[in-house]
Amino acid sequence: MKNILKLFLIVISVSLSGCSDFLDVNDNPNSPVSENLSLSAKLPAALVSSVNQETIQINQIGAFWGGYWGTSSEGVNLFPDMKNYNGPAIRHQRDGIPVWENAYTNILYYQLIREQAITERASFYAGIAKIMQAWHFLRLVDFYNNIPFDEGLQGTKFPTPKYETGKSVYEKSIALISEGMTDIKSSAAGSQPNADDILFKGNKVSWLKFANTIKLRALLRQSEANNSAYITTEMQKITQEGSGFLGVGESATIQPGYLLTAGKMNPFWENYYRNVQGVTTANYTDIRPTSFVIQQYQLRNDPRLAQLYVAVNGEYKGVLFGNPNAESQYNRNVTSAFKGPQENTNRAAGLFKSATQASVMLSSFESLFLQAEAAQRGWLNQSAKSLYEQAISESFVYMGVATAQLPAYFAQTNVAFNETISRIIEQKWLAINSISSIEAWNDFRRLGIPAIPNSLDAASPNDRPLRFMYPETERQTNNVEASKQGSDDMISARVWWDVN
Amino acid sequence: MKVQVYLFSLLLLLLSIQSTLAQDRILKGNIVIAETGEALAGANIKIKGKDRGVSSHKDGSFRIDAKVGEVIVVSFVGYQKKEVEVENKHFTQKLTIQLLSEVNQLEEVVVTGALGIKRASREFGGGAQVVSNEYLNQGKTVNPLSGLNSKVAGLRINTYDSKVDPQLQIVMRGSRSLNRSKNAPIYVVDGVPVPEIGRLNPNDVESITILKGANAAALYGSEGVNGAIMITTKTGSKEKGRVTFGHTTTFSQVFMLPPAQTKFGQGVNGVYSPTQYESWGPSFDGTLKPIGTALPDGTIPQITYGAPSRDNRLDLFQTGVNMQNDVSFSGGDDKSTYFFSLQNVDIKGIIPEDVSRRTNGRFNGTRSFGKLKTSYNVSYSDFSSETTPDGPWITAYQLPANIDFNSLVNWQETNSMANPLYFFTDLQKNPYHQIDAYRNSVKQKTFNGKLEFEYPIMPWLSIIERVGLYTRNAETRNTVAKFEASGRRNVNGSVTDGNENFSRVNNDLILSFQKEIGDFSTRMIVGQNLRADETKSTSVGSSNLTLPDLFNPGSRIGELTGSVGITQYRSMAAYGELTTGYKNYLFLTLTGRNEWVSVLSKENRSYFYPGVSTSFVFTDAIPALKEQSTLSFGKLFASYNRTGNVTLDPYSLNNAYSQINGFPFGNLVGFTPSSRYPNPNIQPEFVKSIEVGAQLAFFNNRLNIEGSYIYSDSRGQIFNATTSRATGYSSALVNAGRLTNNIVELTISGDIIRTKNLRWNTGFTFAHINNQVKELYEGLTSFNIFRQSYANIGQSYPSLQVSDYQRDPQGRVVINASTGEPLIASDPVHLGTMVPPYQMGINSMLKFKNFTLNAQFDWRMGGWLYSEIVPRMYTAGTDPRTAEFDRQPFIYPNSVIQNADGSYSENTSVYSKGDKAYWTKQGEVQSNTAAKSDYFKLRELNISYSIPSKILGTRRFFKEATIGFVANNLFIIRHKDNNYGDPEYLYNTTDGYISFRQVPPYRTYGFTFNIGF
Repeated sequence: MKNILKLFLIVISVSLSGCSDFLDVNDNPNSPVSENLSLSAKLPAALVSSVNQETIQINQIGAFWGGYWGTSSEGVNLFPDMKNYNGPAIRHQRDGIPVWENAYTNILYYQLIREQAITERASFYAGIAKIMQAWHFLRLVDFYNNIPFDEGLQGTKFPTPKYETGKSVYEKSIALISEGMTDIKSSAAGSQPNADDILFKGNKVSWLKFANTIKLRALLRQSEANNSAYITTEMQKITQEGSGFLGVGESATIQPGYLLTAGKMNPFWENYYRNVQGVTTANYTDIRPTSFVIQQYQLRNDPRLAQLYVAVNGEYKGVLFGNPNAESQYNRNVTSAFKGPQENTNRAAGLFKSATQASVMLSSFESLFLQAEAAQRGWLNQSAKSLYEQAISESFVYMGVATAQLPAYFAQTNVAFNETISRIIEQKWLAINSISSIEAWNDFRRLGIPAIPNSLDAASPNDRPLRFMYPETERQTNNVEASKQGSDDMISARVWWDVN
Repeated sequence: MKVQVYLFSLLLLLLSIQSTLAQDRILKGNIVIAETGEALAGANIKIKGKDRGVSSHKDGSFRIDAKVGEVIVVSFVGYQKKEVEVENKHFTQKLTIQLLSEVNQLEEVVVTGALGIKRASREFGGGAQVVSNEYLNQGKTVNPLSGLNSKVAGLRINTYDSKVDPQLQIVMRGSRSLNRSKNAPIYVVDGVPVPEIGRLNPNDVESITILKGANAAALYGSEGVNGAIMITTKTGSKEKGRVTFGHTTTFSQVFMLPPAQTKFGQGVNGVYSPTQYESWGPSFDGTLKPIGTALPDGTIPQITYGAPSRDNRLDLFQTGVNMQNDVSFSGGDDKSTYFFSLQNVDIKGIIPEDVSRRTNGRFNGTRSFGKLKTSYNVSYSDFSSETTPDGPWITAYQLPANIDFNSLVNWQETNSMANPLYFFTDLQKNPYHQIDAYRNSVKQKTFNGKLEFEYPIMPWLSIIERVGLYTRNAETRNTVAKFEASGRRNVNGSVTDGNENFSRVNNDLILSFQKEIGDFSTRMIVGQNLRADETKSTSVGSSNLTLPDLFNPGSRIGELTGSVGITQYRSMAAYGELTTGYKNYLFLTLTGRNEWVSVLSKENRSYFYPGVSTSFVFTDAIPALKEQSTLSFGKLFASYNRTGNVTLDPYSLNNAYSQINGFPFGNLVGFTPSSRYPNPNIQPEFVKSIEVGAQLAFFNNRLNIEGSYIYSDSRGQIFNATTSRATGYSSALVNAGRLTNNIVELTISGDIIRTKNLRWNTGFTFAHINNQVKELYEGLTSFNIFRQSYANIGQSYPSLQVSDYQRDPQGRVVINASTGEPLIASDPVHLGTMVPPYQMGINSMLKFKNFTLNAQFDWRMGGWLYSEIVPRMYTAGTDPRTAEFDRQPFIYPNSVIQNADGSYSENTSVYSKGDKAYWTKQGEVQSNTAAKSDYFKLRELNISYSIPSKILGTRRFFKEATIGFVANNLFIIRHKDNNYGDPEYLYNTTDGYISFRQVPPYRTYGFTFNIGF
């Protein structure tokens, strides 16, 4: 018996050792892992993810809360959380608006690019990654105020990352942009990205201008926050650096190669206009401009109005945001929808030009308005008036209005530059409509300009949304840290730069 | 080799000579049933130690050659085996042998233990329960696992997503893993581990042995840490051929829909709106109102603005019909046996057009070639289903109470509100159009085969080679029929064709030793196992088809979508089991297994785990106990196991990148990582478990009691820990966490009445599972598992934790004094465990003459559930709560206002709005939609009548025939707060979660008959 047992054990051990290859089947045959992928295979995905979040999720929030969009009477029950400022619903894990989750995911994409770039000494990529991380961190502060920064993005090293104040994250983000700029400048010739940099095709100067513009936006954001010493120092750094900002004809846009096929079209077009078969989308059916935005264009005899919306019986008719009643005067068929090529004799319209139009990350006109405001505040030694007019001109160009109409437009007293911040912000508001709408909500929180009517569905007339609550996912996983930040109530707790 | 053959022939020769030398006489006898005195036909009569055997005739009589001193063994399925020693007198007077029916006689129960080797229950050192074919099939369930529900102490079964193909979640003795999908036991069919048994024909099951402890893991692999469900399928026997035919038809009816209000209809802010679907209009007044927009002929449809007394939503559901037919043939001769069966199951679901069909075939056979025994089992299942995804009933939950579903059936009519072009709202779809336009079909073919050779090398040593093959091919096709319209009414045509091939090869090579030395018996098994799983799934589709009824990606616009996934999992193991018995009353079993798995890194992929168990039949050991009759059988048992397990899916050690967001755009690629933080150093997890228990039988086995206490401790678990998204990841793969279970199990069964004509047997199973989370990851005290379910240290897993109102110390809700809105607390509240800690089953079998009544009750207590249907119904204004205060401003009952000094005073003056915005926010407060999940239900009822032989006629063409009534879920008692659904019937493997995605629950009833030829 012992011999048989021995023999058996020998058979087993021989077969086991002979089969050690048998177990070597754990290499993923389906998907590449990080090591298989070059930086150029990762960067485009991160940039597309960023611009998608900007032009869809974040732009939509801004469009409702920045005074541009409402819904038809048929759509009275759509976007209820936006209309009645339902913080808990917005933070909801499944049905909410995951700004936090998407932004941190995007920041992770850049984090992994950054780490790989440092290993591979590809400093241009590292620079891009840092600048883009800062972009998202700044956005996160604008929504959530205090957020994790230093302890974030390190996987299980800090499973419950500590929060830092919004102000500190702003400063660190601006410093991160500076680092990124240094990285880009120091990159060796020939090591820059090419077609994979779908924002600037590896153009150093464009990246530096873009970076400075983000900084400028972040500094202007704190104009009311009693932080002038810091602002002055940072403005000096920008001036000394010398690359300047995005100017005329220098919009930061992304066109990765959109195709007229489902899921590969310009996402703004696919979400708010028509699908691949040319059928109007659900959003197109019920989203309508507010009466307020139409009125503002009309007050200025603004030629952009006709490029933006469809007239009904020769009239432009908007809706009341958050109207809880389904009044027939605001029905779909009697209110102005967005205008696209199909409503514009197949010519590009204000917002909708083609299914493969580029997505706007940061427009030249927004940059010029930022510069105008900075000049008006004395932070930049340039002509505010000239920047203001260039900005409007760039907006006309974007929306397909002949610049020949500009002199008449500028001649109007409510358009002509009157050396006030409010004039700049009013025009900025008209220009970034539905393009970078989030800046309208940000400016409204910062300056209260323009006088956007409140949602008629707000719990009380003075309740305005001031921030997002921390998301449910964060309450579920990092509640101790989230709770330390105090109230995150949407209509009473302010972000740090919002002092009025 | 040649020498061996000669030796065998010589041995055979010697044996045959020996038998011819014996002097036999003819012995005549009679077999009767002890309880009734009736003759028993077909009983097996053998001489112990000999091959000779006969069967009893119709009148119970038999003749057999025997001699004095030999032992006659009489056996028959369902009866206790009886042995009689042949005496001289038996040759003169007729021998009458009485057989007792098998009444869970503990000492004789045979459990299918290690590797399909049957062992007397007395040897067994762990909890085991055997469920017979009859008990399993008393409810005539289609999935054999459904038939186990509430019948086994400590086994919890929940049904989920049951359309026409019920799916089950199975957890034995509480959760050992924080990974909620990794708590299922291992399934073993005729000795071969298979991934699932839902497609098995329950009629093919001879018996199911449930090994509850981790003992099974040593012999079948790590999944056995969660227990094993071991199925023995039927084999033929050495009698003349037997044919059975069975038929069952049952009808299903929806019940327990979440209640809806019937006071208010469609509209906005109290004003009627013909094109809105949400029920925020004025109160019903019974008038005719226009609805929707003008039809092509210019008319505007009218609707009665009032809710009928009968729930309109019920019209969306139909009476389901479930038909099962099965036929089996079995038989055998001296050298071989066979069993052949066919089953067909046709199900028409409770949702119109939902259908499924399953056809099963099985061939089991054995054949001996001299000493070489071979057995082979082949089963094949062909399943297909056609269903609609979750749209129609979700729509129904949200439409106003006055919508008449019958008027929506003919959506193709051009001049009707039922037509999707003119459906009254474009924010919901006509549910009947959803049913026709959105179709999912599945065609699944499952093959399971086993081939086994057993050869006795020596009388005490045999070698067993067993190879099993399991393959499953599933073809899926999801289609959406294009419906061209503008805006929201447009439906894009799409098709996705999927194909998934799974195969498993499992091979065991086993040496089995058996030797008795004096008072000691030893048995040892040494084995080697190889397993290889391979899956390949392919999917091709298009989301933009150009034609409404041609579902092929070829007629698309835009790009083709598709993906391919291949996974391989392999493992090897060497294992052993050594059992030593002393005088057949004291047993000790040692087990050990070393496993190598492919899914871990080379450094971590080998792990060993041991186990020990013992049993002691004290009624045999202590002479004083042998004599008395009160305690007929008594056994104590105990076991200890430390079991390793790897619950990891292949390729989990690295972060996989994929292309999303439209990539690739032409030549531009863009890869993004997954949101799970990878961990290449994952190691096996280990579960320690200890079990002690006793089995007792009293009054000549009339009362049986089994009780056990189990403790398990799982550490270093492999699971996906949800992390703060600020880490960059949504989860991280970790080895962390510790869960313990303290479990008490009790099974009692007994005959309350046992007379010639009447027998009443009842059984009771009880389990209390105290599950505790002891440790989590990196000092965390709480972990989110799935939505509102958490693992919290010091609490049972999973815990239901929900948002709630701010409350004063007395628990009254605090109201915002300016808006009237209840304030929401910033921290969630913990309500309790989502798994009922008390799980009980009661069965009752009443037999009166030819009538039998079987009832199975299921009773669970102490858990919580959460419904996610209800928040949507708040928003849609269909939930009854939204009509409680007639949509008028009201003072929130039992509420308080916080004063400036922090104290609270009763709210008598601040009104809450009671409008849509108000109620929608209340729907977000999750404590409003949670409830205790206690229930008591009549799970199965079976009343049957076996037709007496005199009615069957003298020619006895039919040997047996029974007819019966079967029903499932006939009644249920729920906790008063639970209006949401059936707590046994949950969404996916969520433990305590009711979703709008599930088809609502239903009850079934019908008839069944069986005929034997």
